[in-house]
Amino acid sequence: MTRSLTFCLATASLIVLSSCSSLKLERVDFGWPVESVVTVSNTNTIEEIRYSVSAGVAGLAQEEFQDSTALRGAKLRLLRSSEGYYFLTGPRFKHVYVFSPGPSSLALNKAIPVSESGLRNPALNQRPPYVELLDGDAVRTLLTSDDIVEAKK
Amino acid sequence: MNRLIPLALLCAALCAAGKAQRSDYALKADFEERYRHIAARLDSASQTEEIDSLRGEIGTLEKEYAPHHEFLDKALYPLTFSESIARLRSLQVLTYDRVYLIRTQGVKLSELEARITSLTTRLDSLTAQRDQLFGELQESRKSLSTLREAVKRLTANLAAKDRLIFALVDTIFLPYGKDLHQVADAQKEAIGQRLEKANVLSRVYEIAADNVKFLDVTQLQGKDYGNLIEQYEAFNGRWTALKGKMTDVAATSAPLPTGTTGTGSSKTPVVRGGPREVRGATETAAAQAAHVDSVLAEWHAKLKSGFWGGLQKEFTQAGISVAPFNDGPSFSSSIRSYVSSLASSKQDPQPFVETLWRQKIDRDWREGLSRDAMLGKAEYASLDRLVGSSPGIPSTRRLSSISPGYSSSLPRSGSFSSGRKRNPRSLRQRRRAPQAAPGVYFSRGSA
Repeated sequence: MTRSLTFCLATASLIVLSSCSSLKLERVDFGWPVESVVTVSNTNTIEEIRYSVSAGVAGLAQEEFQDSTALRGAKLRLLRSSEGYYFLTGPRFKHVYVFSPGPSSLALNKAIPVSESGLRNPALNQRPPYVELLDGDAVRTLLTSDDIVEAKK
Repeated sequence: MNRLIPLALLCAALCAAGKAQRSDYALKADFEERYRHIAARLDSASQTEEIDSLRGEIGTLEKEYAPHHEFLDKALYPLTFSESIARLRSLQVLTYDRVYLIRTQGVKLSELEARITSLTTRLDSLTAQRDQLFGELQESRKSLSTLREAVKRLTANLAAKDRLIFALVDTIFLPYGKDLHQVADAQKEAIGQRLEKANVLSRVYEIAADNVKFLDVTQLQGKDYGNLIEQYEAFNGRWTALKGKMTDVAATSAPLPTGTTGTGSSKTPVVRGGPREVRGATETAAAQAAHVDSVLAEWHAKLKSGFWGGLQKEFTQAGISVAPFNDGPSFSSSIRSYVSSLASSKQDPQPFVETLWRQKIDRDWREGLSRDAMLGKAEYASLDRLVGSSPGIPSTRRLSSISPGYSSSLPRSGSFSSGRKRNPRSLRQRRRAPQAAPGVYFSRGSA
């Protein structure tokens, strides 16, 4: 009797849980039409007004330049891809950082190495399903959330 | 493989375009910069030719960025590309209209300023002429014809001043329309300055005070009063309208300067164009206007007392004893009582009806009595019929037969009405024509 009751409860719980997690909205486009150029404040934060996104970038500065204050006053390029990843880079960066959003955080998905000497004047364009990285007239690179698809110099 | 297809397409598209690579952000920023530049130039434009050329620049901007309209529709926020261009075009049209209006209004304003200066000069010369005429009036008391001539010229002078001052006021207010509530504070202040510069309150006061003085020094006849009453009513109506506008203007501008005039019998303080004297906070435009009101009240009172006193004198001189009267209702009551007493006492009505009423009252005082502010047309017609139907007066000579145009409205009180109703002039002329008396007759409106 006890076994039967336990079995029934377990089955019911599975049904409820599976029905909750089954709802999923498809064909979501998170892409911003154009990148945002954001300036790092003295408190090491960036703020994007139109989409109401703000984040602390001290960790990013530490990661890229080994100096948590290195980005103060710098203008960073931020673009959200259609898949929902945040692409972030800036002048002197050797990487394009790809983040995925989490609860009150952006988790690093991939730091894609794009330049050995550091970017000079980078720009990010939305080119679904890719993100295009430009650096002056010389460099054009197509990126996914974790890799370089094509690089042209 | 699936990944390579869109990539190939994208590369092909970019290569086909053959364009230098360009950041979307730079494209958007360039468009926004050019948009702001054109908007700023529109904002500061002061020539219609410049605004015309900016219309061309808007067209060029639209043409250059039209290939990117799909991108800009999304990137520009909150407007789309076409909305941004439409807004710029609308701004161009509005700016053109504004600049055009300012330019044409500027021309109009300068014309009006010239007119104000001209009217002010003419008013000043009339004031000098008035002083001379008052002097002549005092000297020519001995000769009746000279006296009447001086009075005629003086009344013409006063009427001309009256007309000019309100022409001046109309000119000042003309560019701002009828509703001053919709006029900006800066413009109200400009009106206030013009009124002050033209010394308007002082001039209005002077005209009213001159009229009081005129009533003091002039021996008027019954036939004079019709025009005098009309003149007063017109002046009072125009002053009431001006006072409302000036109060509105003064609510925004600084208190007007004040002074004292010595003209007229009333030494009431009035607004003057001399050095500014700042009054206390309680001094308002309404209080300043009250000084003009006081002299107008004096004008009204003198006109009324002169009118009813002169009319009473006619009865006394004719030896007709009627109850004293000092306004329309008491005059009406007095005449009705006298006609009743004639009927009951069997007295000869001829002296009253023929000599006094027909030869004096109906000929000289009828116009004044018919004014709504005095007796009113209907009540006069009623009294006229009553007197004409007195026992002993032949029916063919009854006076009521010559007043068909009078209305049957009730008699009015003795106070002046602000509304003006003109007498039926043709009727008056028809009645007067066979009785036109030779001699001096002057009209205040004949300047």
